Amino acid sequence: MIDLAAVEQAMALLFSSFSPWMVVVPGIVIGLVFGATPGLQISMSMAIFLPMTLYMDFVQAMLFLTAIFTGGSFGSGIPAILMNIPGTSSAIATAFDGYPMARQGRHNQALGVALVSSVLGVLMGYLILFVMIQPLSFMVLKLGPAEMFAVILWGMTLIASLRGEQVLKGLMAGFVGLLVGTIGFNELGMARGTMGQAYLLDGVPVIPAMMGMFAASELFKLANKGFIVESEAARKVKISEIFQGFKMAVSYPWVLIRGGLIGVFVGAVPGVGSSVSNLLSYVETQRRDEDPDSFGKGNPKGVVASESANSTSEAGSMATLLALGIPGGGATAVMLAAFAMHNITGGPQFIRQQTDVVYAIIFANFAQVFLLVVIGLLFIPLLANIVKVPMRYLIPSVLVLAVMGSFGLTGNMTGPATVLVFSVVGWLFRHYGYSVPAMVIGMLLGAMAEKSLLHSYQISGGDIAYVLERPMTLVILVLLVLSLFGQRLAKRITRRQPRASA
Amino acid sequence: MSAKKRDYGDLSILMALAVFTLWYLMDAIRVSSSVQNLLLILPLSLVVLAIVALEVVLRVKRGTLLQRLEEEAEPLHRTLPVVGLFAAYVISLETVGFDVATVLFVAAFLVLKGERKWPLLAGYSLAFGFGVAFFFAQMLPYPMHMLILQG
Repeated sequence: MIDLAAVEQAMALLFSSFSPWMVVVPGIVIGLVFGATPGLQISMSMAIFLPMTLYMDFVQAMLFLTAIFTGGSFGSGIPAILMNIPGTSSAIATAFDGYPMARQGRHNQALGVALVSSVLGVLMGYLILFVMIQPLSFMVLKLGPAEMFAVILWGMTLIASLRGEQVLKGLMAGFVGLLVGTIGFNELGMARGTMGQAYLLDGVPVIPAMMGMFAASELFKLANKGFIVESEAARKVKISEIFQGFKMAVSYPWVLIRGGLIGVFVGAVPGVGSSVSNLLSYVETQRRDEDPDSFGKGNPKGVVASESANSTSEAGSMATLLALGIPGGGATAVMLAAFAMHNITGGPQFIRQQTDVVYAIIFANFAQVFLLVVIGLLFIPLLANIVKVPMRYLIPSVLVLAVMGSFGLTGNMTGPATVLVFSVVGWLFRHYGYSVPAMVIGMLLGAMAEKSLLHSYQISGGDIAYVLERPMTLVILVLLVLSLFGQRLAKRITRRQPRASA
Repeated sequence: MSAKKRDYGDLSILMALAVFTLWYLMDAIRVSSSVQNLLLILPLSLVVLAIVALEVVLRVKRGTLLQRLEEEAEPLHRTLPVVGLFAAYVISLETVGFDVATVLFVAAFLVLKGERKWPLLAGYSLAFGFGVAFFFAQMLPYPMHMLILQG
C-alpha cells in the first residue's frame, strides 16, 4: 500500500532545498484572508494567484495551492462563527452552532474549536490519503450517478429534517431549493424558469443566493441590535479561552473521527465534496448525540463536526484529483489547471509513475497543518475583534462586502440582484420558521441531482429494477429511510419493551 | 404574537411556495414534456404541492391556519427601512456607481441607526466606501461602474 522508496524520494524533493517551503506561509495567509472575507471564495483566490505558479516548479506550485486551500478551509469558518456568514458553502454547518456560541460571548472558544478541528481534520485527511490513495481511487470509480443521486437525496432529507418539530417546513424549503437549483438550461439544452432573462440561463447564481439567504437576511434580523455579543464583558478576545476551545475540540474524539471519515469519503465524490460533507457530519453528530436539541444553540460538537469534515474533504478531493484527474470542486478545478500548466495529467498512471510527487504533496500538507496553528493563532485575535464593532457599522460593511463579492462572482449585476432577492426571501423564511440551510443546500445540489437522475435513467433505460442491482444505492436509500424514521422507530420499540416485559 | 391577532404572513409564504412550484412546473412542461426534462421537476413539484396541502390540512385541524408557529421578537415592519435601504443601494449601483453608492449607503445606514457623531460618520463612510470599491476594482477582472474612482 505504501511505496517506501517513493517516501524517501519525496523527502528528498521536499527537504533538499528550502525553496518549496517559501510559498507555504504566503499561501496559508492568502487562504485565511480570502476564506475569512465573505464573498471571496477559496477557489477565487486560487484562480487569482494561479498565474504565479507558472514561475514555480510543480511541487512548489502544488504546495502553494494546497496551502491556500488549507488556510481557506479554516478561514471560511471565521465569518461563519463571528457573523453567521459562511465564507464558503463548506462552512455552512459551522455557522449552525459557531454563531450561537459567538452570540453567547463564547466566540473565543468557538474559534479555538474550529482551528483545532480544522487542523486535526487536515492531518487526518492526508494521513488517510497517504495510506489509502490507491484503494480510494478504485472506490470512487464504483460510484455511479444512481449513488450520487441517492447521496444527494439523503443529504437533502437529513438537512431538511434538522429542526425536529418543523420537518414539513424544512422539507418544503429543501425541495423548493432543489427546484430553484434546476432553473436554467437542462442537460438537453432546454431553458426552464428563466422568465426570458438571459442572466438566468446558467441558473440562479448559487453563491450570491447563499450570501443573501444566510448573511444579509441574518443582518436584517440584527439591524436593531447594538452588538453581535450584547454583553460588554463577553466581547473580549482572550487567548486563554481560545486554548479552552482547543481542549474542547479534542475532548470529542469520536465527533472528530466521524467528521474526518465522512469528510474524506464524501470529499472524494466529484462535485459533492466539502459542501455536503460538513452538513452530513453535523447531522450525524446531532442525530447520535444524547441531547440533539442542544444543537443549533451553541453546542461546540456542532463546530467540531463541521470543521473536521470540511477540512478532511480537502484530502478526499485531492484523492480524486490525483487518482482520476477529476476535480471535486472549484478549488481542485483550479489545481487541475495548474496540472495542465505544468503538463501533468492526473490519473492512475500519474500515481504509479510519480508516487514521490504525490507523497511530497501529502507530507507538505502535514507540515502545513502546524504552520496553520501558528498563523491561525496570530490571526484569530485580529479577526475576533469583529465582535467589538457596533452593529450599525458592521451591518452595512458586511452587506457591501457581500454585494461586491457577488459582483466579483458573476461579473455583472446578476450577483448583487440575486443577493437582494434572496436576502428578502431568507429574511421572511427566518421570520416564519422555514429552514434557510435546507433551501440553500437544495439550490446547491439541484442541478447535480437532476443530472445524476437523468444519467441513471439513461443507463437503466427507465427500468426501476436497475436500482436493485446497485447495492450501494440501496444501502444509501436504507440510510435515508432510517435517518428519517429510525429515531421515531427506536423510541416506539423502547416504549413497547417495558410494556411487554411488564 | 398573540393568538388573537391574525398573521397572514406564514400562510402567504406557504401559498407563495405553492404558486412558485406550480408556475415552475407549468413552465417546464411548456418548454418540453419529455421525460428527460421532467424527470426530477415533475415528481419533486408534486411532492412540494402535497406537503403544502398536508401542512394546510394539519393547520386547519389544529386551528392555527392564521397563526404563526414561531415566536419572533422583532416585528417585520421595524426592519423594513433597512431592507428598503439595501434594495435602493443595489438598484443604484449601476447608475450612481459602486464607489459613491457605497459611501451613500453606509452613511445613510449609520444615520438610520442613530449615529450622530458626524465626523466619524463621514470619515467611516468615505474611507470604507472608497476603500472597498477601490480594492474590488483592483482585484476583479471585470469593469466596475464608478463615478469618481477609476473602474
